[in-house]
Amino acid sequence: MTTAQLDKMRLELRRGVLVLAVLASLKQPHYGYSLRKQLQDGGIDIDEGTLYPLIRRLAEQGLLDSEWQQGEGRERRYYQLSELGTQLLSQLTDEWQQLNNSLSNLLGTASQETK
Amino acid sequence: MELVKRYIAAVQRELPEVKRDEIGRELNANIMDQLDMLSEQQGGLADTDIAAVLKQMGHPREVAQQFVPPQPLISLHYMPVYRYTLFMVLGILFVLQIVGSTSAWLAGDFGLLLYLKSVASGFLKDGCFAFTAITITFALMSVDTAKATTSQNDNWQPQQLPDAGHSWQHISLQDIFTDLATYVFLLIVIWYPLWLSPEQLANSSFLFTDNAHQLLKWASPLALLGIASSLWQLRKRFWSQTMLLGNIVLNGAFVAVILMLAASDPLLKLEPEVWQGVLQLEQLERVAVTGLVITAMFPLWEVVRDILRLRKLA
Repeated sequence: MTTAQLDKMRLELRRGVLVLAVLASLKQPHYGYSLRKQLQDGGIDIDEGTLYPLIRRLAEQGLLDSEWQQGEGRERRYYQLSELGTQLLSQLTDEWQQLNNSLSNLLGTASQETK
Repeated sequence: MELVKRYIAAVQRELPEVKRDEIGRELNANIMDQLDMLSEQQGGLADTDIAAVLKQMGHPREVAQQFVPPQPLISLHYMPVYRYTLFMVLGILFVLQIVGSTSAWLAGDFGLLLYLKSVASGFLKDGCFAFTAITITFALMSVDTAKATTSQNDNWQPQQLPDAGHSWQHISLQDIFTDLATYVFLLIVIWYPLWLSPEQLANSSFLFTDNAHQLLKWASPLALLGIASSLWQLRKRFWSQTMLLGNIVLNGAFVAVILMLAASDPLLKLEPEVWQGVLQLEQLERVAVTGLVITAMFPLWEVVRDILRLRKLA
């Protein structure tokens, strides 16, 4: 497999997970840069060009509430999970747990078979 | 910070006007946060550091497209039909232009270069108009497609799908549009006096004699039936016994009309002085008759093919 193919598949794999990671991180209010830092500290590296538009899209879908606040001499837009976002996060988390269990079994079986 | 301003302005230029201020404001806040952090880490900022941060953000157009993904003018749902409609209409216009320019060339005394110029300029003029008209039509149809497609996709039932059948039973878009183009072309040629201005009509002459032209006019309902049949195929996209039978009758009628046309005597309305020294009129008649007999072989082949297919389905 070429590096380009691997990069493309990695990107596809991460795309859906990023939404879950962003929603989970926004249980507490964050502005763009602090959210990125939080994700990075949690081991999820996401570039700004992807993260900021993603937050806006989620807000436009009603999953996040947002508010401009002044802080450290500058205005910042803070985002936090809305009620709808909280419900969705709970459902997505269950879905993720199930998927993760199933996938762990599959990957475990596959790795035993290859040995 | 001049670079940041320029960067944000470049992103805003790629955004719809209603979203420019809001996205620009937010992007500015995010970039400034990032620069602050970098400044704290390094104890200061040079222009090269700012440029590196902006470079990492991505090209302004890409960033703008992430915020507001571009919408295609023509919905993907319509794209195959749009493409074939364009090919069909442009194909017909090209052939019509060749026919028109060739008859003007034979009747007039201009050279090969002027003939080629006449073909190219005429086709470009009509082609641009047709392309624009078709594209606008499909763009308007695409406006509400997302909703319509979703509801159509939600309401489908597996029982409504056609039988798996034979592979040949699936009718390709290419076949349907080729037939449609042929029928539309026939109608345009047969009823050419309707599309021409009185001046153009006075300067033009039909290739066939009046009797042969009359025969073609009587055959016009067949072309209309062909168009109706093609539109039905476009809806069903699957050869059933009834559709095969209809196609056999239609193509059989076309074979009969073409052979009757070939049997007309005289077939061509030619001006001897134009052809003097090029070809004898009898030779041209023979060529035209042979051409018509060869043309009749195509629908005849479809008749034979469909009879064989009908047997397989029986």
